[in-house]
Amino acid sequence: MFCVNCGARVTEGGSFCVACGSHVKHEAPPAAEQPAPRAAVVHTATKCAWCGAAIDGAAIDRDLTSCPRCGAAPGLEGGVTRSGWAELPGRKDMAKLQFGNSFCQIEGTYVPVADMNLAPEDSVYFAHHVLLWKDTGVNITTMPLRGAWKRLFAGMPLIMTQAQGPGHIAFSRDAPGELIPVPLQPGQSLDVREHLFLAATGQVEYDWNQTNIWFRTRKGDDTETHYPVGMFMDRFSAPQTPGLLLLHAAGNVFVRDLGPRQTILVKPTALVFKDPAVQMHLHFERPSSMFSSWGYWSNRYLWLRLIGPGRVAVESVFERLEGEGGNISSFSYATETRW
Amino acid sequence: MTDASHIPAGESLERIQCQWCQSMNEKTALACRACGAPLDIRDLVSESGWREAPRIRDMTEIHFSASTCQVEGEIVPAAEINLGPGDSIFFEHHVMLWKDENVPMTILQLAGGMKRAFAGMPFIISVATGPGRIAFSRDATGELVVLPLHPGMELDVREHAFLLSSHQIAYSFVRIKGLANILFGGQGMYMDRFVTTGVPGLLILHGYGNVFERRLRPGESIMVEPGAFLYKDSTVTMQVEFQRLGSGFFGGTNMSLARMTGPGRVGIQSMYVHHHTE
Repeated sequence: MFCVNCGARVTEGGSFCVACGSHVKHEAPPAAEQPAPRAAVVHTATKCAWCGAAIDGAAIDRDLTSCPRCGAAPGLEGGVTRSGWAELPGRKDMAKLQFGNSFCQIEGTYVPVADMNLAPEDSVYFAHHVLLWKDTGVNITTMPLRGAWKRLFAGMPLIMTQAQGPGHIAFSRDAPGELIPVPLQPGQSLDVREHLFLAATGQVEYDWNQTNIWFRTRKGDDTETHYPVGMFMDRFSAPQTPGLLLLHAAGNVFVRDLGPRQTILVKPTALVFKDPAVQMHLHFERPSSMFSSWGYWSNRYLWLRLIGPGRVAVESVFERLEGEGGNISSFSYATETRW
Repeated sequence: MTDASHIPAGESLERIQCQWCQSMNEKTALACRACGAPLDIRDLVSESGWREAPRIRDMTEIHFSASTCQVEGEIVPAAEINLGPGDSIFFEHHVMLWKDENVPMTILQLAGGMKRAFAGMPFIISVATGPGRIAFSRDATGELVVLPLHPGMELDVREHAFLLSSHQIAYSFVRIKGLANILFGGQGMYMDRFVTTGVPGLLILHGYGNVFERRLRPGESIMVEPGAFLYKDSTVTMQVEFQRLGSGFFGGTNMSLARMTGPGRVGIQSMYVHHHTE
């Protein structure tokens, strides 16, 4: 079954498109969409299964192209697991995407590099520690941020910097993983866990919010506050014109689409992004018997509960959750399961 | 190494030149004999001019003097050396993966080496002499960069990035003040220098993440994050420049970038892990 808006493949029964986030209408009988044989569509323009951009069918035949908007290689679509997680689609090394009059080439496979060729009128912004190299002529300036002094990265102030075209500038992060190009359509927003952001084009607006997800542990007289998904979450949106957002996640990345009120529990530190409509809060799981060896308040699983509708993404390499084994004295809104 | 002596006389004169190291290979060869680069795959060069280091196929064999090196694995590749009699290689102690019991080891005498330390251990360059097998790998995902050095070549390499070098290559190091100071709060950074004497030799580096190389024209410059620098021809100059980011009450931070100026090759790695030098 395919999204009416962008043509992407949609999880069976899903109510939102994993690729573009729009509602999926269920009135069309799914059987009618199936019979188009592959051979019949090869020579016509087709749509990228990931982001919905149109791709010239003849170019696919020559095995020459990648999706111009997100870099996914046609024919290398990532699989969808039986549980409904869609793997990020395959990408050929040196895949090239276009935004405005500028281009971004994604180079390498272990720790991919985003190599931007900026047109004079285009700009990108990024956290200063992701810069890999640049042409000598490309100027870097800092970006004013609301309350930015509250934000820290590895003990240093998080500084957003921007680079204006023309010229080349390239970015990479410090862990093997995947570079996730997220083309944002006008009106679309995305919430991203902090420090996963690599770069965004000037058309993308940046804001951040408190996650309000926390718990306190107590040891003797000391209490410590922990933020399992970080104290802040980044929000990127494209209010007027389409923009390109680049994220870097460690390991492999999986995306799924939650229906309204559909829930899933994820490791808090594995969250990559979510649609703004997706709600989240803490969730504890523990044995019901007070007398079992699990009977202490601190002996439980700590989850992040995500509630649809919307897309959510996780990464397969995650940091250890701090304070997980501690004696929790108070916490933000949470649900609980006893078994 | 444009030497084609390994190709039997009377064979077809058609040769394939390796695009990575310029060695000549038989026309049926699938991988370069001298550096292991696949010969049947198009080079990956970005539009900005960076060439991706060739991804060496698992189990590819490389030849140097009377020895061979087999590259094993792809995520954290290991270099397994089968040393011929009389051949030797040198390396830092922390990259050794395994060795035959009977391969003799000695230590390379270095001027000033006692002052340099790595991870709390004295900085020692060890030497293994053939015949026998010994294997090397490093501590994170990355690529092996095989650089056959022709006579007269001089290469500068980021400290601790070299995996091994054949004995035909002369080794020394220089301390670069200022390069790592501001970034890492250290006292400087060493750079290893490899110089070939009369005979070709083999140098293998390990770069974190992916490795890219670019050839700068005379006077051409590029700004590189110092942590990404992996190697350069000694003709390329490197100068650290600072840019102040942020201002006013909250201070902000300095960003340092290395200005690399040609002529020559520059190699970078896409992920960096900095090992402190004491």
